[in-house]
Amino acid sequence: MRRRIVTCVVYGLASTVALVFLYPFYWMLMASFRSQAAILSEPLRPWPETFETAGFESLSSIGGVSIWTFVSNSLVITGLATVLGVAITGLGAYALYRNPRLPLFSLIRYGFLIKIMYPSMMLVIPLYFVAYQLGLLGRTAGIVLAISSVPLVFFMFLEFFRSVPGAMIEAAIIDGASELQILTWIVMPLARPVMLTGILISFLINWKQWFPIMVLSTGPETYTLQVALISLNSELGVNFQAIMALAVLTVLPVALLFVLTQRWVMEGFMAGSIKG
Amino acid sequence: MRSSLMPLAADRHLNALRGRLRQHAILYLFIAPFAVTTTVFGIWPIVESMRLAFTESYSALGNNPLYVGLANFRSVVLAPQFHDSLWRTLLYTALAVPLNLVSALGLALLLAHPVLERGRTLFKLAVFLPVVCPEAASYIVLKSMFNQDYGAVNYALRSLGLPPFAGLTKPWTAFATLLAIETWSHVGLYALIFLTNLQLMDKSLDEAAAIDGASRWQALVWVIIPQLKPAMAVNAIYALIEFLKTFSVVYIVSRGGPQFSTTFISYYAWTKFGSGQYGEATAIATLLFVAVFLMTGAAYRLMNRSDYR
Repeated sequence: MRRRIVTCVVYGLASTVALVFLYPFYWMLMASFRSQAAILSEPLRPWPETFETAGFESLSSIGGVSIWTFVSNSLVITGLATVLGVAITGLGAYALYRNPRLPLFSLIRYGFLIKIMYPSMMLVIPLYFVAYQLGLLGRTAGIVLAISSVPLVFFMFLEFFRSVPGAMIEAAIIDGASELQILTWIVMPLARPVMLTGILISFLINWKQWFPIMVLSTGPETYTLQVALISLNSELGVNFQAIMALAVLTVLPVALLFVLTQRWVMEGFMAGSIKG
Repeated sequence: MRSSLMPLAADRHLNALRGRLRQHAILYLFIAPFAVTTTVFGIWPIVESMRLAFTESYSALGNNPLYVGLANFRSVVLAPQFHDSLWRTLLYTALAVPLNLVSALGLALLLAHPVLERGRTLFKLAVFLPVVCPEAASYIVLKSMFNQDYGAVNYALRSLGLPPFAGLTKPWTAFATLLAIETWSHVGLYALIFLTNLQLMDKSLDEAAAIDGASRWQALVWVIIPQLKPAMAVNAIYALIEFLKTFSVVYIVSRGGPQFSTTFISYYAWTKFGSGQYGEATAIATLLFVAVFLMTGAAYRLMNRSDYR
């Protein structure tokens, strides 16, 4: 009997918690199919009166720019930053693990730590001047390179390499394997899971980016969905339904990706967080 | 064909050296892209920002910047708006860190409850979803939850017979609203860190406590929470850095208002940029960086001194 009550209380509390965290997403989805007038008259109606797609239709062009520009920018910027970032941080962490005592290596490590300790929003402003001097302002390449290195993924790689048995590498060296062979034949096959998790987490984190993209853009041509959403939200006389529709488009891909891969995502976040 | 042993040894030595040099060269090659991106997109802008902090704003971006020593730092530190935003940031952090850690601990204990067998994954998923969700969207949606006309929060309060919550329309409630929105979106990460540590925990201690006749509450306070100290330290450092730098939520939700009640230090620096006061803005950035740097350093020190793990 007592156990029954405990079970009820625990499930009740957990469901309330889940409701608090999920309801805003549900509300966003419903609001995207309802007119502004309908939302105002009956804000919490659980199901739309009629599925109105006017909000989504009005998105076909935002401020004269096609929605497909934002969609493809989001995919291209997030995708490229993810692939480049995982390759760059993975190789960097690997070199630091293989021989941390080489000249300049500790300097590079401290440089990276200082970079992530610097308030990121304030780093973006001088980044603007640097991008300007390099001619990368308003260019996809500049945005991709600026956001590519994800600290969490770097720490995930460091943590992983520490778990690689040193004896295996020693044996390969005695057998006369070169550094490149050690990487491609021994480390890479072992690192496949951590690389996939790194790609997944980088993608999720880069998809969230908006501030550096907004600042390093010179016009809406390089805006992603997130930046378009923020600029739509700060306009006067906003079209609320359109904002909710755009929010749905921004959230849906990553929400689906996360639900499908939740185990790896959460494990990855943990692996990168333990040694921070 | 070799005739003596000596040259062979020297040869082997030379070969080993050559091998090591080759190894070093390839490791430098591996680290090169990482070093270049860290320098160009990290160190260079930081140095640039520190340099600008010593220049007169109107000349900062020109070819002949005028260096004015500590004048920017002086004018920043003497401005009452700076003091206000600094205290506001510290108060916000002082409230947000314990609020997040305590709620995260509560959530973790709930989600780790042995009774919760079915659906544990679903509940974990719900709590963690805001962490991976783009802030741009979640902050806008959460903001509308606090809307005075159609927000769910006031609707719920009214249906419970409670007075409405002023949300973003009054200074102190706006401050509290941002706190609530940020907690909603970050608490999942802290909760997951606690939860992972709870599940890795030594079960035998828990059983020993039960055999000794400890109540659930006593076991929690004396057995479980002490074992969570390392997770607590990691979470505290993360939260500290996160909330001292609070910016996105201000930019997206409140724009620093009403009546500057949510103008935190980083948003204050951003408004300085907006008005072209580059010298002052970078001086604030430099000060904030030094503060975060010292605090993180002190926290690491504290963590290493006590024998965690």
